[in-house]
This record gives sequence, C-alpha cells and structure tokens, in this order.
Amino acid sequence: MTVVRLAEVARVHGEGATAVHALKGVSLEVDAGELVAVMGPSGSGKSTLLNLAGGLDRPTSGTVHIGEQDLAAVRDLAALRRRGVGYVFQDLNLITSLTAAENVMLPRELDGVRARLAREEAMAVLAEVDVDDLADRFPDELSGGQRQRVAIARALVGERRLLLADEPTGALDTRTGDEIMRLLRARCDAGAAVLLVTHEPRYAAWADRVVFLRDGMIADSASAPLASA
Amino acid sequence: MSIRHGLLALLSRGPRHGYQLRVEFEASTGATWPLNIGQVYTTLSRMERDGLVTPGESDDQGRVVYTITAAGLAELARWFGTPVVQSERPRDELVIKLAMAVAAREVDVAEVIRRQRTATMSALQQLTRVKRAAADGTDGVAQRLVLDSMIFQAEAEQRWLDHCEAVLKEER
Repeated sequence: MTVVRLAEVARVHGEGATAVHALKGVSLEVDAGELVAVMGPSGSGKSTLLNLAGGLDRPTSGTVHIGEQDLAAVRDLAALRRRGVGYVFQDLNLITSLTAAENVMLPRELDGVRARLAREEAMAVLAEVDVDDLADRFPDELSGGQRQRVAIARALVGERRLLLADEPTGALDTRTGDEIMRLLRARCDAGAAVLLVTHEPRYAAWADRVVFLRDGMIADSASAPLASA
Repeated sequence: MSIRHGLLALLSRGPRHGYQLRVEFEASTGATWPLNIGQVYTTLSRMERDGLVTPGESDDQGRVVYTITAAGLAELARWFGTPVVQSERPRDELVIKLAMAVAAREVDVAEVIRRQRTATMSALQQLTRVKRAAADGTDGVAQRLVLDSMIFQAEAEQRWLDHCEAVLKEER
C-alpha cells in the first residue's frame, strides 16, 4: 500500500530570471513498511521534497497524494498533517517549557483529544521508544539521544502512518545515531512509511531504498539486496 | 597482524582446542577472516615451538587442549601495547580507475562515479543489515565492531565519490 506518492513534482521559488527550480519533476512513492532515504548535497532539493511530501508546501506542478488524498484538494492541510504525518527534525524543536509527555500530548490535544486520553496515548508511545521513565522531565534535562526519542514519540502519537525525518541523527554521535535508526527501522517494520533525508551514507544505508538527488532531479537509486532466506 | 596474536587473545580467556579456536576466531571477526583448521594447527605448533603455548592431554575425542604460557601472555601484552603503523595502503583499484577515467579521453566520468556510488551504497546497505542481525554478547560486540569498521570504510568511499563528483562538476 502506497502511503505517499509524488508524481512529476516540480517546485519553483520566485519568478522570471531569479526563479529557483528547487525540484524538476520528481516522482517517488513510499509504501507502508518501507524506509526510503533521500541523499544529496545542500541545495539539491532534499528539504523541499520532504516539505512537499508532508503537505508543508505545495508543488508548482505535479501531484502529491497521502493515502488516497490528493493534497491539492485538501483544504485543511494542517489537520491532515496533524493526524496523518509525523515529523522529526534535526533541531528537535521540542517545547522547552513542556515535559516530554506534554510535548507528545500536544498534537493530540490540538485535535481535541481529552487530556487524560492524550496522556495515556503519550505514555504508550513513550514506552514504545523506551523513554517512558523520562516522561516528566523537561527537554533541558534530557540527553540529545533521549530528546530525539521524545521527538520521534511525538511524531508517532495517534495513528500516523507517515513519518518524515530531516537529518534526525544530525547532532548525535554515531552510536546514538545508530540507536535512532534502529528505532525508525522498527517503526517501519511495524508498518509505518518513513521518508528520511540525510547526508550521511551510514544512516541512509538503513533504508530499503536510497534515492540520490542532484540539482532537483533523481540521479539514481540503490536498493538493498534481497534478504537471503 | 598474524593469526598467532588472534589465537593468543582467545587463549587468554582459557584453554581451548584447535576447532574451538577457529570457531571463536571467526565469530569475533564477523567471518571477515575465515581460517581453515590446518592454519590453526600449524600456528599452534609453531607457537608451541616458541614457548607461547603448551599442549595438554587429549580429551576423549582425541583433541588437544592448548594453554597460553607466561611468555605467550607477555607477547600478547606487547602486541596490544604497540600501535598499528599506518603502513602504505595497497593500491586501491577504484582510485586508480577514477584517476584513469579522468585522464582518458571520452570516458563519462560522472557515469563511472554514479555506478560506483550505487554499488557502494548497496554494499553499505548489506553490511548494515548484517550488523542489525548480529548477536548480543561478547562475540556479537566484536562482530559488530568489525562490521562498523567496514561501514566506516564504505562510508568514506561514498563521501569521496560525492567529493569527486562535486570537484569534476566545477572543473567542467
């Protein structure tokens, strides 16, 4: 089942002589249970691709579907994003005045879920990523790896099937980075679709498929060899 | 390094017979260095000659159990205490190939890089998959570290390829 589908997507910033063609006709699908990594130098269109896939930005031409829904036809993109799409960014952006649990509860409460149920959901998902014992700590009281786990928990809470991760291992040492990848991989194996942007080959290698982006186009892609039975 | 230091390291955990040493050697190194049993016994008998190990009596299946000696422990400590010299690397075929692709006429260097990048990434994906499946415990950790070393090397190659691509694009 395809969770997100980009078809011939182009994105132009600005107009006329100063127009920047960030993406030039990219087609990409991510299925449930699949981890796809996008690699490319800065300016290659990686972040634009991620923003379009998650409905944070709209394409100049081409279509983006999340599940069956054509994003061009969706009025309330914010609601669709909250319910269907989780984001993990390098700079974490956990809210510092809220505890780990409160950070995870926030998107659910915005959706009108009552606090008690939102807390139950938050605790369940924090347990899944193994930081439920840190639920009542503030972001400043957590290590980089722990904060990233909380951010992933927040991205997963509710029934979100699509996870978009922009350099989620950015500031972490390689061992902690590996742990974060192990976690994302586990979510994938449990049925989520994950689209990961990274410039580090060692993390891209956790993906089923690696797409190389160059100058707004897909230059080539590498697939993991089939697992030997 | 020689096989003998590897075997001495394993024998420092306690007496072992040849087959056991071979199995543990391969488990620790993630099977990156397969040994045949002949190499193990040849090495053991040379180490016995040099006083680094002593053979015990054979067990009921006729296997001789070897024990590390004080001289063997000293040699092992010397080995661990000496850093490995960054000796001249053997010529890397990929480096030569790319240099020649640049030097030669009418070679699509970008295409050579692209093909290699895809192949290197596939290898990296395969290594990562093996690492994910590696067992827990001491042997599992040793095995993962060996795989990590290969992952870092493949990653360096991938970065170098990206670098080549960027430099050549500028030169054009």
